[in-house]
Amino acid sequence: MSVQARTKGFLDASKATVPLLSVSDLAVSFDNASNPGGPRIQAVAGVNMTLFPRQTLAVVGESGCGKSVTAMSAMQLIPRPPGRFDRGSIRLEGRELLTLPEHEMLKVRGGEIAMIFQEPMTSLNPVYSIGDQILEAILLHQRLEMTQAIERAIGALDEVGIYNRLKERFKADALALAQGKRDLLDEYPHRFSGGMRQRVMIAMALACQPKVLLADEPTTALDVTIQAQILDLLRQLQRDRGMGIMLITHNLGVVAENADVVCVMYAGRVVEYAPVFDLFENPMHPYTRGLFSSIPGLHDMRSRLTTVEDVTNDPAEFRRVPGVVPWWPHMDAAARPALADAREPYILHQIGPQRWLGCWRTPDLAGHASPPPSLDYRRPD
Amino acid sequence: MGTYIARRLLLMIPTLLGITLLVFSLVALAPGGIGAGLQVSGGQMSDTSRVMQMQAYLEDRYGLNDPVIVQYGRWLAQISPLKFGPRFQRSPSGAWVRPPRDLPEPPLQGWFPAASQEAVANAGTAGLAAFDAMKAQDANDRHRALQRDSEASRRAYVGTVRATREALADWARANDRKDLLDAKGAADPARFEGMQAVPGSPSWDALAKAAEAMHVARLQAIERAAAERASFDAQPYPSIGLPLIPGTMWLGPPDLGVAFSRNRPVADLIAEALPVTLLLNLIAFPIIYLIAIPTGVLAAMKRGSWFDSASGAIFLMLWSVPTVLAGVLLIGFVANKQYLGLFPVSGLHDTQAENWTFLPGAGTRGWLMDMVWHVALPVTCLVYGGFAVLSKQCRAAMLDNLSADYVRTAKAKGVPRMEVVIRHVFRNSLLPLITMFVGIFPAMLGGSVIVERIFSVPGMGTLILQAIDLRDREIILANTFMIACVNLLALLLADILYAVADPRVSYE
Ligand SMILES: Nc1ncnc2c1ncn2[C@@H]1O[C@H](COP(=O)(O)OP(=O)(O)OP(=O)(O)O)[C@@H](O)[C@H]1O
Ligand SMILES: [Mg+2]
Repeated sequence: MSVQARTKGFLDASKATVPLLSVSDLAVSFDNASNPGGPRIQAVAGVNMTLFPRQTLAVVGESGCGKSVTAMSAMQLIPRPPGRFDRGSIRLEGRELLTLPEHEMLKVRGGEIAMIFQEPMTSLNPVYSIGDQILEAILLHQRLEMTQAIERAIGALDEVGIYNRLKERFKADALALAQGKRDLLDEYPHRFSGGMRQRVMIAMALACQPKVLLADEPTTALDVTIQAQILDLLRQLQRDRGMGIMLITHNLGVVAENADVVCVMYAGRVVEYAPVFDLFENPMHPYTRGLFSSIPGLHDMRSRLTTVEDVTNDPAEFRRVPGVVPWWPHMDAAARPALADAREPYILHQIGPQRWLGCWRTPDLAGHASPPPSLDYRRPD
Repeated sequence: MGTYIARRLLLMIPTLLGITLLVFSLVALAPGGIGAGLQVSGGQMSDTSRVMQMQAYLEDRYGLNDPVIVQYGRWLAQISPLKFGPRFQRSPSGAWVRPPRDLPEPPLQGWFPAASQEAVANAGTAGLAAFDAMKAQDANDRHRALQRDSEASRRAYVGTVRATREALADWARANDRKDLLDAKGAADPARFEGMQAVPGSPSWDALAKAAEAMHVARLQAIERAAAERASFDAQPYPSIGLPLIPGTMWLGPPDLGVAFSRNRPVADLIAEALPVTLLLNLIAFPIIYLIAIPTGVLAAMKRGSWFDSASGAIFLMLWSVPTVLAGVLLIGFVANKQYLGLFPVSGLHDTQAENWTFLPGAGTRGWLMDMVWHVALPVTCLVYGGFAVLSKQCRAAMLDNLSADYVRTAKAKGVPRMEVVIRHVFRNSLLPLITMFVGIFPAMLGGSVIVERIFSVPGMGTLILQAIDLRDREIILANTFMIACVNLLALLLADILYAVADPRVSYE
C-alpha cells in the first residue's frame, strides 16, 4: 500500500468528535529589532495541532521553539507590531480566531480560552486583592450581581483547594468558615506562597468556565509536591468540565503522567505528534529520540549524558524511521533527499494510524495533502 | 500605622533642631554676623552719638551681643510652642503683647555703684503709682502708652550704657591704659573689675557724668517698666495659648519674631507673600501635572512612535532653557509694547483692579480676568521646565509595568486595553510618582526667586531674597523653619501614601 492510501484511511477514523481548538499551518514572525533591515524572526513556521474536549495536549520542545508564541496567538496576545501572523489559522470550534476583531476577542479571552502562566510570583497584580482580581475576570464575562459574583469567586477558589486549610480549622463552625472564605478574598498576592498563587491564577482562569485552558509551563516554578497537586487539580477540573488543556512544559515526567497526546516542536514546527504512550514507547523522529535519550536513568553509570545533538547528528537515526526521511535543518547536506517543492520543503506527514512526523517533501510525498494532525485520543483512566 | 506616624513626628523634632542650628550657624558665620543687616552705616552721618544709640538699641532688642549659641537658644524658645513665663496677650490689632523684659545690669558698678535697693524699690513703687493713676483709662490706650514710655526709657538707658562704655574707652586712652581695650578699641568693662577708681585723672569728669546719666536713666527705665508690668498683669487684653502651669509654663503658637529690616512681625510678612506664591503655584503645578502625566502615559503606550520622540524632545528642549533667559525674552518680546505688548510686564493686578467687578463687565475686564492676564507670563515661566522630568518619570514607570507579567494576565482575562493601562499599569506606576508628588508641598511655599524677581511679584521668593540681601535673620530662619517643617511632613505623607498605594508596604 502506498503512503497516500494509508493516510486517507486513518483520517476518516479519527474524525470522531468536533475539535475544540485547531491550529493549522500557523506562522508567526517578529521584527528583527537588532537588525531592522534584516530578515524577520520566524518564531513559528507552520504549526499544526488539534485539541479535543477533555483532552490534554502536551507541547514539548526546547526553549525558543515557539510554544508560547503558538499559545499566545490563540488569544491574539502577540504584540503586533513587532509580531505578525504570516499565515495559517486557529479555530475555536470552527470560528477563526486570528482575524477576530478586538471587541470579539475580549469575550474569547478569559471567557472561552483561559491561560495560566509560568511565573506565579509575578503574574498577579500586587496592588489588588486576589478577590478583586478574580472578580474582575468574572464580571467581565458574566452578567452577575456583585453578591453572586463573590459567591462564584469563592466557589472558584474552593475548587482549586485554597480553602483546604481553612476548612480543617473551622471544621465545626460553618459561620466562621464562611467568614474566613470571604476574608481571604481581601488578601493581597504577596501574602501567598508560589503554589497558592498559582492556584489563585488557576481559579481566576477557570472562574468563567472556559472551554480551553492554555497552561504555559504552569508548574515550572513550583516544587515537585505542589507541581503534582496542581496537575492533579487541573486533571480533575478537566474531567468535571470537559475542558481541553494545552499543557506546555519541558518536563517529560509531567508529560508522561498527564498528557493524552504529545506534540513535539522544534524551531517553530511540529516534528512529531502522537498519543503519549506510543510516543514514549517508540519515539520515531530523531529529535524526539534525542530528547528522550537525554534523560538520565538512575541505574546507567556514565561520565557524560547524551545530548539531543549526539542523537540527531547520527545519520543512522534518520534511517530508523520507516518510509520517509524526517525533516532536520542540520542534516548532512549530502544526505538530503531531493525535494518536490523547494519553496516548501517541510510537511507533517501521517505515517501511522496515530502518528505524525515532520519530514522533507520528497517527490514521493509530492501529492500528499499534509492534513493537520488530529488525534481524538484520551488515555484510559 | 498610628505608632509609626507618632514615632516619625517625634523624630522630626531633632531633625528640625539640626536644620535650624545649621541655618543659624550659617547666618552667624556670614560676614558681619547675625546682626549684619542692622549695622547702621555710619559713612556720612554727622551725629555719631545718634548712630551709636541706635545701634545700642538694636543690639539690646535682638540680644546681638550674646554668644551665638545663646541667641540660638533664645530663638528656639521663641519658636517653641512650649513657652515659659506669663502668657502673651493679643491686642485688638492682632499683635502679640508680651511682658516687659528685664533690664540689663549697668556696667562698672565697682566705680560707680548702682542705685541703692531702696531707690530701686522706690522707682518700682512710683511705677505702680503711675499705673494706678491711669487705671481709669481705657485699657488699650493705657497699655499702649505705658508700653511706649517703657520702651523709650529702656532705649534711653541702653543708649547711656553705650555712652558710658565709650567714655570709659576715652578714659583708658587718655590715661594710656590701652591694655584695658579690646582689639576693636572698645572698652571691656570686665577688665576694669577690681581696679581702683581714679577720680581726677584725665577724662574722669566726662566718664563720671556719663555714668551718672546712666544710673538716672536706669531708675527711670525701672519705674516705667514697673508701670508696664503692672498694666500687663492687669490683663488689658485676652491671653493667648493654653496654660500648663499658670504664670510659668504655657503652650502657644510659634513666634516667628519681628523682621529686623522692616520692623514688622515675620508672620505678617509671610501672610502677605505666601498667598501670592500659592496663587502662582496653584495654577502652575496642576498645569504641569495635567500635561506631563498624560503625555508620559501616552508616550509609554506608543513607545518609539513620533509622539514619544517629539514629546520627549520638546520637553527636554524646554527644560534646557534657563528661566532667566525665558523670563527676559517673554518680557522683551511678548510683554514689551514695542513688540507684541500682549501682557503686562510686572505685578499681579492692575492699579484699578480693586474697584472692578469680579467678572468682566462695566467696561472693564474684571478682577479675575485681570489677574489671569497678569499671571500668564510668570506662570508660563514656572511651568515650561517642569514637564520633562515628570513625564519621563511617568513614562519610565509605565514602561516598567507595561511589560510586567500581571499585565499579560490582565489581557488574558479579557480586560480591554484602556482598562489594562489605567487600572493595572498606571495604578502600579503611581508608586514611583509619589516621591515626586510630595515634593510639590515645600515647592509650593518656597516660591521661585527668579520668576518672582523678573516679574516683580511680591511672593515668597522675593521676600526671602530681600531677607538674604539684608541679612534679616528672623525672616531667613522663619522661612527655613517653615519649609523644613513642610518638607518633613511631606516625606511622612509620602510614606503614608506608599502604604496606601502598595499593600506590600506596611509599617506595623
Ligand atoms: N515580542 C517578541 N519580539 C521578538 N521576538 C519574539 C517575541 N516573542 C517571542 N519571540 C521569539 O519567538 C521565539 C519563540 O519564543 P517562545 O516564547 O514561543 O518560545 P518557547 O518555546 O515558549 O520557549 P520557552 O520554553 O523558553 O518558554 C523566540 O526565539 C523569541 O526570540
Ligand atoms: Mg514559553
